[in-house]
Amino acid sequence: MRKMLVVAAVGAAVGLVAMAQEPLWQEGKPAGAKVQAVQYLYPEQVTIAAGKPTAVQLHFRIAPGLHINSHEPKDKFLIPTTFSVPAGAGVTLRSAVYPEGHDFALPADPRTRLNVFTGEFAIEAKLTAAPGDHLVQAKLRYQACDEAQCMPPKTITVPIDVLGK
Amino acid sequence: MRREVRIPVRRNTLVLGVTLFLLAAFAWAGWANWEYRKQQAEKAAAAGVHAMLEKGESADALYTSSPLLGKPAPDFKLEDLAGKKVSLADYKGKALLINFWATWCGPCKLETPWIVDLRNQYAAKGFEVLGIDSEGDDLKASDAEGFARQKTAVQRFVSKEKMPYPVLLNGDSIANRYGGLDAMPTSFWVDRTGKVVASQMGITSKDDMEEKIKKALE
Repeated sequence: MRKMLVVAAVGAAVGLVAMAQEPLWQEGKPAGAKVQAVQYLYPEQVTIAAGKPTAVQLHFRIAPGLHINSHEPKDKFLIPTTFSVPAGAGVTLRSAVYPEGHDFALPADPRTRLNVFTGEFAIEAKLTAAPGDHLVQAKLRYQACDEAQCMPPKTITVPIDVLGK
Repeated sequence: MRREVRIPVRRNTLVLGVTLFLLAAFAWAGWANWEYRKQQAEKAAAAGVHAMLEKGESADALYTSSPLLGKPAPDFKLEDLAGKKVSLADYKGKALLINFWATWCGPCKLETPWIVDLRNQYAAKGFEVLGIDSEGDDLKASDAEGFARQKTAVQRFVSKEKMPYPVLLNGDSIANRYGGLDAMPTSFWVDRTGKVVASQMGITSKDDMEEKIKKALE
């Protein structure tokens, strides 16, 4: 009995220490590496009435120090933040309501006001789902900058499990 | 004569207690290590972002450092807006500013008038600018419509900003040679011998750009 307990304790301890050696997520990227500017937060799953347009709040977070253009940037050449749902997903995007952006000026040009999102923001997507379970790979397209430089436009996947009941 | 009294239950309890204590200690050590590594990973990630964002002393080095410094500028051949092939070698003997920019880039739009002024000011001394459009977009190679739309946007930008220097397309195809072009604008100053003498990621000031032009002209 005693031996078994000791063996179990040592085994468990070795296992725990081994698990602790590597975190479950990737290590931080070195300075200068490409930064993931926008992260989808939640919800992972929503249940909505099948066939009935339903508003769902989708939450995102922008990395500290970065901003992305709002859905209605003030200049035509800027890329607006846009949410979409691919066709054939069993879920249709009827409309999307974006939050209002806020004014932002680059230090090198304080007179020009941009309209941007920073920090956390939510998009209200009005979805219509067919009956059933749909793993939707929705998309968010954005273009991020800091105060001195801009990163190329990017489209990230927004995975949502939509249950139409 | 003394009689030995066996107390198996209490002894087993003791062993069990020690075992549980050891398990708890190892679990705590494992959790502490895991938490420490998590914090380190978060700090490193934050440092990556801050290095891109804060113009502190060390961040400045990140903005201006490049493995290309002191080396020959990598050659390229790209099309201009008229479809003519232009190569870096065509500008042998000139001091150059190779300015990678994009139509969606606010800081690029801001620095373009400075570049136009400086180009006009120093052209007679043997200075030229090569503006290289690098949209960095996730267009598929087969998306002819997307590329045509891009070209139209570049033409509109060039016309609006009255850019008097060659503007070349598809800078993304030479991005790896120039360090990846993770952000726009990214600029390289090249001296008359073809060597990179300065680089800059992000916008600084017209004066700073002028200083680097003078360095390229030395």
